[in-house]
Amino acid sequence: MGREVGIVGVGQTHHSRRRTDVSQAGLVREAVNRALADAKLSMDEIDTVVVATGPVLFAAVNQPEKWVVDAIGAQGKSVVRLTSGGGAGFAGALAGYYQVAGGYSERTLVVAYDKLSEGQLQYSISTLYDPFWGREFAVGIMGFSAAYWRARMDVLGHTEEAAAMVSAKNRKNSIANPYAHVKKEVTVEEVLNSKPLCWPIKLLDVPPISDGAAAIVLSNEKLAHHSTTRPAWIRGIAYCCEADNAPERSLMLSEPLAIAAKKVYRAAGITNPRRQFDVVEVQEPYSCFELNYYESLGLCPPGEAADLIASGATQLDGDIPVNPSGGCMGANPIGAVGVIRLIEGATQVMGRNESHQITGANTALVQSGGGWANLRGCAVLSA
Amino acid sequence: MFAAPETHPHDLPTFHSQISMPYTLTPGRAAGTFLAEMPNRRIVGSRFPDGTVIAPAQDFSPVDGEEPEALVQAPETGVLTAFTRVNGDVIGLVRLDGCANEFPHRILADLDVLSVGQRVAAQWSDGDEGTSITAIKGFALAPDAPEGKVIDLADPAEPLGVINYSMSLDFDHAYGPYYGRMFDEIREHGRVMGVRVSNGDDALLPPREVDDVTHKRTGTWKACGNTGTIRGCSIINMEILGQARKPPYVYAEIVLDGASTRMIHVIDIDDLESAKEKIRPGTRVRAIWTDGERQGRVSDIDRFEVIEE
Repeated sequence: MGREVGIVGVGQTHHSRRRTDVSQAGLVREAVNRALADAKLSMDEIDTVVVATGPVLFAAVNQPEKWVVDAIGAQGKSVVRLTSGGGAGFAGALAGYYQVAGGYSERTLVVAYDKLSEGQLQYSISTLYDPFWGREFAVGIMGFSAAYWRARMDVLGHTEEAAAMVSAKNRKNSIANPYAHVKKEVTVEEVLNSKPLCWPIKLLDVPPISDGAAAIVLSNEKLAHHSTTRPAWIRGIAYCCEADNAPERSLMLSEPLAIAAKKVYRAAGITNPRRQFDVVEVQEPYSCFELNYYESLGLCPPGEAADLIASGATQLDGDIPVNPSGGCMGANPIGAVGVIRLIEGATQVMGRNESHQITGANTALVQSGGGWANLRGCAVLSA
Repeated sequence: MFAAPETHPHDLPTFHSQISMPYTLTPGRAAGTFLAEMPNRRIVGSRFPDGTVIAPAQDFSPVDGEEPEALVQAPETGVLTAFTRVNGDVIGLVRLDGCANEFPHRILADLDVLSVGQRVAAQWSDGDEGTSITAIKGFALAPDAPEGKVIDLADPAEPLGVINYSMSLDFDHAYGPYYGRMFDEIREHGRVMGVRVSNGDDALLPPREVDDVTHKRTGTWKACGNTGTIRGCSIINMEILGQARKPPYVYAEIVLDGASTRMIHVIDIDDLESAKEKIRPGTRVRAIWTDGERQGRVSDIDRFEVIEE
C-alpha cells in the first residue's frame, strides 16, 4: 500500500431538480469553493484536480473540464476528467486517491457533478448500449435494472415490499438532509401503490433527477493537520468491473462489488462488516439495488436482504444504519453521487454529519457504482 | 516471435445509427445576460475585481477564476487580432476596446483586404435574431472608428435561464468480421448465429473473437434457435424519448436456445396484470420475424411471443 490518504474537506451544492441560475461550471464552482473553505485551503495549495461527470450526452458539452478549469481557477494544474457512468464520482475519488497514495500529489481536489435537467436522461443512457446489439430496444438503465430485480425476486426473495421499505426509510432520512431536494415521507403502501414505470420498479422506487455537484479534498498524512484535527482516513478503496455480455454473469449478487469488498475489507481489517461498521452509505439509484448491496457487501448472507430491511437493523436507530443521508432518494445528480456518498460517510466519522450524525461513528462503509451494474466499488473510512 | 495477423483495409458496408436529442441548457448569469441583451443591441461584458473586462460576459475570470464584480456594457468597436476563412466565411478574433480578451465572430470583409491591427465595428443584423449572438451580424472594417469605452450597464435584462438546443449525431459503425457475419446471416437467412465458447457447445451472442471467461479463442459458428428462455424482464409502462414501441410492453433479456448470453428484445402484452403472471424469468418465448424486407439488424426480429404450454 502507498501513503495514508485522508478526506480533509468536503462541499456539496444544495441539489435541486433544475438550477437555472448557474451553468454547469457555476455549479461545480459552488461545490469546490465550499470544499476548499472547509479544508481551510485555497486553490494555490491544491496540486492536482480530478473532474468527474456522467456521460457527455447528459448535458451536451464535450470535454466540460475545459470550461470547469476557468470556473475553479485551476489553470496550470494537472487536471484530468474521468467518467464512469453512475460511478463517475467514486471513480474520480479513486483516481485522486491513487495520486496522493502514490506520492505524486500532496493534496488533490476531486469534484464531481451532473446537471441532469439539461438533457434526456434515460435516452442518453440507452446510448450506452451496443449500437448493433441492444440499443434498438433499450429502455435506459431502468428497463435493465427492473428486469434483474424481477429475477432476484424469485431467487432471493427481494420482494416489492422489501424494496418499498428501503424507499420509505431513505425518503424519511432525507428530510433532515440540508442538501436534499426531495423531502417527503412516504409509507410502504404508497410505494407499492405508486405508478409502475418499469415494473417491478414503480415511481416511488425511483430517485429524483437532479442538478448538483460535490467536492472533496484529499490530503496526505503530512499536510492533513492544516485542514482538520479529525480527517476521514481512507482505509481501503476499490472499484471493480465484470464483463457485460459474459456467459457466467448471474446478476443475482453484484459480483464486482463482492470482489471490491473483499479487497477493501482485507486492506481495512474488516472481518465482520455488520459488527465493525457504524454506518453505511450506498448509491441506490433504484430501491431494489440497496437490497442487492446488503448481500454483496456482506451485511447479511445472500438471500437475507429482505429480512435485514424488515428487521429494522438498517434504520437510523438500528445496529447498521444504511443511508442516514437519505441516499439517492433525496437527490440524485448521478455523476456527483459517488462523491456525495463519500462526503456523507466522511462527515459521519469526522463527527459532523449534517443530516443524522450516528453517535460515536468511527468506521463507515461507502458504496458506489455505474455501468450496466458491471462497475461497482466501495471504500472504508475511519477517523 | 510475435507474428501480426495479416489485415487488409477494405471498404465494407457500415451500420448507420443516429443519436438525436433536445436539450435545455443553462448559460448562467453572465452569458444569460449577454444573450438577453442581444435584442437591445448591447454587448455585455464582465468586469472583475482587478479591473479586467471580458466580453462577451463570463461568470468566471479566465485569469484566476474570480467572479465578476459587475456586468458592464462593452463598446462595439475594437481591433482585429486574427482571422481566417472557413467554408467561405471569414471569421476572426476581435479585441473590443477596453477589453482583455478576444471575441470570436464573423468578419464582414474579404480576406485579402484584412490585416491584423485594423479597426473594426460591430454590425447589427436587420432581421429578428432574438436572443442569439447572431444579432451581431459580424464586425466590419471601421478605420476611423474612435476608441470606444466600457460603461456601466444600465437596467440589465433578466438573464436567460434556459436555452433550447438540440443535437443530432450520425454515426456509421464498422461491423467487423464477427458482427458482419452475424448480421449477414440475419439479413440473408433470417437466423441468429453465434460462435461457440472455447470449451463447449453453447454459443456466445453477440459473437466475438475471444471467450471472455477462458480468454481463449472462441470456437466455430453455430445457428441458435428461434426460441429461447427469458432470463430477466420488466414491464415498460412509461414513455421515454427514443423508444422503439408504444408502452406498455415487456423489455426482456432472452437466452436463445443453444446460446449462453442474452439478447435484448421486446414482447407485446395486453395488460400489466396478466403480463406480471405470464411473463417471468424462465418463460419460454419464440422470435417473430418482420414481415418486411430484412435489413440486417436486431429489429429484423419484430418481437418475441410467449410459447403457450
